[in-house]
This record gives sequence, C-alpha cells and structure tokens, in this order.
Amino acid sequence: MTQVPYKILVVDDEPDLEHLVRQRLRRQVRAGRYLFVFAQNGVEALEKLDEDPDIDMVLTDINMPKMDGLTLLEQISIVDPNIRSVVVSAYGDMQNIRTAMNRGAFDFVTKPIDFKDLRITIERTLHHLTLWREALASRDKLVSLQNELHVAHQMQQSILPSAFPERVGCQIYGSMEPARDVGGDFFDIVTLDKGHLGMAIGDVSDKGVPAALFMMSCRTLLKGAAIGDPSPAKVLGLVNHLLEEDNQAGLFVTMFFAVFNPAKGELVYANGGHNPPLLVHPDGRSALLPSTEGIALGVVPNLTYQEKTISLSPGDSLVLYTDGVTEAMNSDDEEFGLERLRQVLAVAGSHDAREANQAIFAAVHTFAGERPQFDDITCLTLRHNERAP
Amino acid sequence: MDIDVERKNETLIAQVTGRVDSANAREFEQALSSAIGDDRKVILDLGNLSYISSSGLRVLLLVAKALRNKGAEFALCSLSDPIREIFEISGFDKIIPIYGSLMEVMGE
Repeated sequence: MTQVPYKILVVDDEPDLEHLVRQRLRRQVRAGRYLFVFAQNGVEALEKLDEDPDIDMVLTDINMPKMDGLTLLEQISIVDPNIRSVVVSAYGDMQNIRTAMNRGAFDFVTKPIDFKDLRITIERTLHHLTLWREALASRDKLVSLQNELHVAHQMQQSILPSAFPERVGCQIYGSMEPARDVGGDFFDIVTLDKGHLGMAIGDVSDKGVPAALFMMSCRTLLKGAAIGDPSPAKVLGLVNHLLEEDNQAGLFVTMFFAVFNPAKGELVYANGGHNPPLLVHPDGRSALLPSTEGIALGVVPNLTYQEKTISLSPGDSLVLYTDGVTEAMNSDDEEFGLERLRQVLAVAGSHDAREANQAIFAAVHTFAGERPQFDDITCLTLRHNERAP
Repeated sequence: MDIDVERKNETLIAQVTGRVDSANAREFEQALSSAIGDDRKVILDLGNLSYISSSGLRVLLLVAKALRNKGAEFALCSLSDPIREIFEISGFDKIIPIYGSLMEVMGE
C-alpha cells in the first residue's frame, strides 16, 4: 500500500539547513515518508502554509529576519491549530524555548542539530498528530451519529399517533417518552370498520437503536394485521409468526391488542406477555384485566393466542402502560409500582382520557425526581364516555 | 451482577447474584456463553437475582435456544416472587422450565 508522505515545512534563514535536512533525512524522503518544503522566514512560511493546506508539521528556527519563529508560532495557531510545530533553538536558551512552548510548540531541538534526535522528535510529533486526527475524526463521527439519532427520534415520534380519533362514546389518548433518543416502546390506534377502534401497546426487549428498528417493524406488522382481521388473538398470532420468522437477534416484544366497540362498550383483547392493563371505574376502584396467558411475540413459532371480552360501563377507563411506568425508580431505589399507579388513577381515572394519561406521566416524573429515566415510558388511555343525560 | 459456576453430577449450576439490566446484559450474555461448554444440563439458580430487565430476559431466551439446538437441558430455579412474576407476565415460564429449588431440579 502506498502511503501519502507527511509534509514538513522547514523554516530557517540559513540555507545550510535545507542542504543538511535533504542530506541527513534522505532515506525517509526516498521511502516516501517525509516530503520537505522550505521557507527562509516567518512571512515566507505563512505564504507556503497558505498555498499548501496539506502541510502537517513545521520545524522552525527562532531568530530570523522579517518574522521570527516565535511570532510565526502565534500565527500558525490561528491559520491551522491542527498543525504541530517544533522549534530549533540555541543550546541553553531556556527563555525562548519556554516562550515557544507557551505559544503552542509541540517540542524543541537545539543547535547544533543532532539529526538522530531530530528524527525521533519528528516521529514523535507525527505520531501525536496521527492520534490527534483520529480523535478529531471520532468526534466528528460522534456528532454525525448524534444528528442521525436526533432525526431517528423525530421519525419515531412522528409515527406514533398524535391526533386521536374522536368517536361518539369514547375518548382515547396516548404518549411515549423514550429513555434515550430512540426507544422500543410504542402504542398505536387503528381505525376499523363499524366504528370500532383497535388499540395496541408494545415494549420491545432492550433499548436504543436495535429496539427502535424492531419496534418500527412490529408497529407496521401490527397495523397491517389489525386491518386484515378483527380478532385480537389472530392479530397477535400473525404478528408473532412474522416477527419470529427471521429474528436472529433474539429480540422480542410484549404486546397487548384490543378492539373496542364504542356503541356497545365491548372490549375484545389478547395479551402477548405484556403488563396487564388496568380497568378503572368512576368511583376510583381499579382491577387488572384478566390474563389471556400469552407469550411475548417473536420467540416461539406458531403460537395461538387466547382472547377475552369484557364490557366497559360508562365512565370506565382502560389504562395500558409499559413497565417504564411501574419500574420507574426514585433516588432511594424504590419502584413506582402498580399500587402508586392505581392511587393516581383512583383520582385521575374519572377525568377525561388526556388528563388521566398526563396525570400518570406527571406522577412518575415527580416520583423519580432527579433520578435519570432508564426505560421508555408509555401510556395509552381509553375512556368510555358517560351517556348524555 | 455476579455469576458463580460449579459442576455437579454432570450438571452446570450457575448462581446469578444482583441485577441484570440493559447496562450489563451484554456482559451477562458473554459470561453465560463462556461458562457453558459441552454441558448436557444447565441450571441457573436465580435465588439471589434482585432484578431482570427485558434485555436480561432476551439473553436467557438466547441461551435456552442455543441449548435446545444442541439437545441440552436448561432450567431455572429458586426465583423470588417479583422475578417469577416477570416470567409469568411475559409468558416465558411456558418456554423455560422453572423449579422451586435447586434440590427439586437436581432430584429430577
């Protein structure tokens, strides 16, 4: 592999140095490691730097006409702070050496030049330069990744419902707060025939980008399946089958899916390993929905899910949530827990769906306090409205 | 999170202590896969496991799958109530056999 030589600008008013450098470092030049450019003073050096943006390193004398080496050092840090400089000083001239170092010189060598020492100094400088450039490249890469994650965050939030369908007989409201830029939680609302509403909540194992990618495909598969078949159990069965087929990463998703008929107040649901939702009555009492014994999706092929049907009375709310709610921690290592959720809903459950949902988030945030959020938090609330008097 | 491994009666018994979450799930996965060799029977004693997140469950599913493909046995034992509940809600208690105690599973 051919490597691009390092370009070194040598600045000295004594023409002897050019000859010496070409002579004593000829092996490195012939091997294609170094390429030298020469200037006789600081002004000329700045012109060369301006003409040639590829110069990696400067080796400069201190005492020179027109512009001395110390002034040149100041100028270099303005022209390109990533160029590394080495000064050549008189032996024992500590004052100038200190000034040069303070102005950003990387190292110094003394006259008369010991070329063995100079070679070591140049190599050390170039090694440092290489590491510095790698660090800069990593930083740029990190910045660009952060930008991409920011875009991914916006894309993910934009596929979650933000407008909630209005139906006579019910209200629905949901939101998701990822722990990182992107998360593995999701919820969805699907408008079905006969005024029915499909509602889903899911939680992909793990967090971050892999979870987010899996979540996107779960949500797409769910939407397609829900529109094709009105049975929640069959919907989960189909999504499970499609997810499991080529799931090398071993990711899985817990998913609850229900279809609500607002006219009758009837809810048919199936649960694939998700936290059981809470049914909250207007008087503040609440109960977990009876289990349908399903396994999380994406793990076992050809599963058959069970479904159950319940009736919602006017004023009842159904609250779907992920474990980011119940497992939120405070600084004393306590979990928010199901009991606190029920206490919040004992009061907020009689409010409309949006207020109840927002009250849960507010309670979790208050509870967690300064402790950073470590899991995505998602809630989706359905309220069966009181009949008009 | 700590894993203590011993072999008894041609069975690998790994005792997991502490919590497994997304921060150390990869470490958990590597520790388990390097501990498990050609063992025909692997038991994870989760009696001292204080918490397991979904990332940790994913690791257990991968281990279960790898062992099943090799025709080896895999079981969990001694789960505390909150941990057992996590397995019950996710339905994974139907995929991985769970026993009350190490004695119970060794007696099989």
